[in-house]
Amino acid sequence: MSHGHAPRTVAAEDVIIPSGHALAKLPLIAAVVGLIGIGASFALMGDHPEQFYLSWLTNFAFFLSFGLGGLWFVIVQHVTRAGWSIVVRRAAENLMVTLPVFALLFIPVIMGMEHLYHWVHPEEGDVVLQGKLGYLNTTFFLGRAAFYFIGWALFALFFYAKSVRQDESKAAQISRTLRGVAPVAIVFFALTLTFGAFDWFMSLDPHWFSTIFGVYYFAGTTVATFALLALSAMVLQRGGLLKGVVTTEHYHDLGKYLFAFNVFWTYIAFSQYFLIWYANIPEETMWYMYRMEGTWLYVSAFLALGHFVIPFFYLMSRHIKRNRKTLAIGALWMLMMHWVDMYWVIQPPLAHHHGGHGASLSVLDLTTFIGIGGIFLAVYAWRMRSKALVPVGDPRLAESLAFENL
Amino acid sequence: MAQRLEMDPVSGRAPLVLGATSFDELTKAVAAPMERTDWRKWWVAFGVSVSLLGLLLVSVSWLVWEGIGIWGLNNPVGWGWAIVNFVFWVGIGHAGTLISAILFLFRQSWRTSINRSAEAMTIFAVMCALIFPGIHVGRIWMAYYLFPIPNQMSMWPNFRSPLLWDVFAVSTYFTVSLLFWFVGLIPDLATMRDRATTKARKIGYGIFSLGWRGSHRHWQHYEIAYLILAGLATPLVLSVHTIVSFDFAVSQLPGWHTTIFPPYFVAGAIFSGFGMVLTLLIPARVIFDLEHIITVKHLENMAKIILLTGSLVGYSYAMEFFIAWYSGNPNESFAFVNRMFGPYAWAYWIMVSCNVITPQLIWFRRVRQSPLILFILSIFVNIGMWFERFVITVTSLANDFLPSSWGYFRPTIWDLTTFLGSFGLFFTMFCLFVRFLPLVALAEVKSVQPEADPHYDPEAGGVARGDLEGATLAAPEVTHA
Repeated sequence: MSHGHAPRTVAAEDVIIPSGHALAKLPLIAAVVGLIGIGASFALMGDHPEQFYLSWLTNFAFFLSFGLGGLWFVIVQHVTRAGWSIVVRRAAENLMVTLPVFALLFIPVIMGMEHLYHWVHPEEGDVVLQGKLGYLNTTFFLGRAAFYFIGWALFALFFYAKSVRQDESKAAQISRTLRGVAPVAIVFFALTLTFGAFDWFMSLDPHWFSTIFGVYYFAGTTVATFALLALSAMVLQRGGLLKGVVTTEHYHDLGKYLFAFNVFWTYIAFSQYFLIWYANIPEETMWYMYRMEGTWLYVSAFLALGHFVIPFFYLMSRHIKRNRKTLAIGALWMLMMHWVDMYWVIQPPLAHHHGGHGASLSVLDLTTFIGIGGIFLAVYAWRMRSKALVPVGDPRLAESLAFENL
Repeated sequence: MAQRLEMDPVSGRAPLVLGATSFDELTKAVAAPMERTDWRKWWVAFGVSVSLLGLLLVSVSWLVWEGIGIWGLNNPVGWGWAIVNFVFWVGIGHAGTLISAILFLFRQSWRTSINRSAEAMTIFAVMCALIFPGIHVGRIWMAYYLFPIPNQMSMWPNFRSPLLWDVFAVSTYFTVSLLFWFVGLIPDLATMRDRATTKARKIGYGIFSLGWRGSHRHWQHYEIAYLILAGLATPLVLSVHTIVSFDFAVSQLPGWHTTIFPPYFVAGAIFSGFGMVLTLLIPARVIFDLEHIITVKHLENMAKIILLTGSLVGYSYAMEFFIAWYSGNPNESFAFVNRMFGPYAWAYWIMVSCNVITPQLIWFRRVRQSPLILFILSIFVNIGMWFERFVITVTSLANDFLPSSWGYFRPTIWDLTTFLGSFGLFFTMFCLFVRFLPLVALAEVKSVQPEADPHYDPEAGGVARGDLEGATLAAPEVTHA
């Protein structure tokens, strides 16, 4: 007020998708495409359903990353009272409200448990696996999954409902309430994500174990989420929205986080690999042996190169993070690498047990990607269309609008 | 006071320094510990510290004379208190680098009141840490074999050993921390030079302020150097304790070999370091009348980081436990059950109480805002983190794969005196630091004062950030300036 800038405000046309806009049709289009994808996947299942379930689980893991990453982003912004991120927080809120839908998308995993999880029918002489049945049994597995989904849905809907109510009421009290709940949400989130990753992805190879595995999946979800947040804002801006609301400064910060959490992912991935390689105990190394068999070795090498080396040097530059085109390339690349990561985590062991000796992409990887991705995008875009694209009632919105990197 | 403690950004961000303090008053407050000599409590603290330092000298001299047999080491516990103390002290250093480098990258301007003393603490803690591997080699006059120095016997250290990586990691860490600390000190040393009333001070501070005159060009170079050093120091926060964790985790010993060790050790290191920062600063801010600069808000923020990292450590304990059972490996399960209920259970429960249970009190605001309770909690953190390293090292070694050699590990009096003596070195260095160098980063604190804003307007109540009132979903013609 006293120094040159007028108070910053946002115009309605910048933050509300008009009804005739192409983006307003996206939910319907995505839903139809998604249903076609799911239908095609079931049609292609055939006599060998293993590949169907593996592909489904891969893409489930990939898209679930955004729901969980969105929830994590939102609660962390509240805990840290971050000011810069308010203009992109609604996008993360829209991501996290997709979580309840993943409970439905989990149904095919339940249908395929017999094919996916060897521990459903452990062999007689398998003493190690017999010892784990107290944890790895169908009833407890389903109960835990229900617990995770209910908890995630409740937290996501709570944070979402409060935030959109603030759009109207502009009550500062809502910010304080959310800040109070967020630390509790973090504790719940950390434990459920960890055990979710153990249950759904680590127990694909039920003899194998790694204490860091939950952190590994978490690290991947953060990278993917920062990439998608940046891309979402770019798509909206190309559609003529969010003009001057999300600025180069916000992209720069999202880019920094993309870089930082990608290094974090690398750190976790390296810690796991290195300690297992060095100690060289057969019960642990076999997990990596599957990933070095035949052409899997190339996937592994590509993961190290593409998930770390290339983006590390690419995203280090300030210019690349502040230029929308170059940041978009980086973000798209990271999304692709997160998919490769999920493919690499989920598909090798069963491919090994079913006699395969190498990586080969299946058409089901594509159809389930379209299916789950379509449903995910439909919900995400539907939430985007329903409310303002930024939390217009947040008392500190102006701080976020005026934010500058120094 | 209660109003001053309001730190709710929804209703406006509170000033970081309390009381309408001018730049001049700030300078005087920060310079006072160096310029006045009548600090009676300081002399008491210094006396105790130097006595403990004497204890260290005696203990180390006796060790060099007699050999490491004076310690309680046995077979199979070949690593005893020396490695425990080493990891303890290295860990403490991490808070300083986190505050000065990582919080800088995260734009946390509250760090300016505490970063200088935390960084000094880092350097002194690393010095204490380096004593232990140095004297543990036994023949200390051969310690240069730690480094890969070409020699006619072609004897090299084992490059595949994390112990050698430690040599590189810790020495790099020490060097970068020292440089970072020194670069930050330069403008404040120049201030002290300009305030000097004696010839010796003028020359001493003058040499180390490197001809700083505060020109724009100086500031520009300074800011660039600071950012680069922060960027370089950030990975070091992670790498040093990661490599320390490798000392244990690359082995095949149950309780040591587990994949979560690197991030778990880093979280624990930051946890212990913040504990020590509180232990040092809560008395220091009272003794030197700096309570308006190192405020309760600063203590509260640090307490929150302790809660976060303490919970991360708790998470790691839980994962180790769960996976020890889940792995189906009986040796692994035994190692953890043995920790809980075996001969060292007392140490295990001290560790859990101090690292996981008592920090949960920080959930309560009243605890966070009470310097006395935080001071007591910080002592618990120090105790807990020492016992964590003790539990990891000793329980896994003492009850190894060969039950016939399971003895009970007992330290000797010399283990104790060496460890207590290392506190003497640490506190002596810190006491000297607060009297000879500005313990608050004066220039940086000034830079986050409202007056530092070019648009500062004392008429408008001293608030410069005027354009932060709530934005509204305005009529379509209204756009942003």
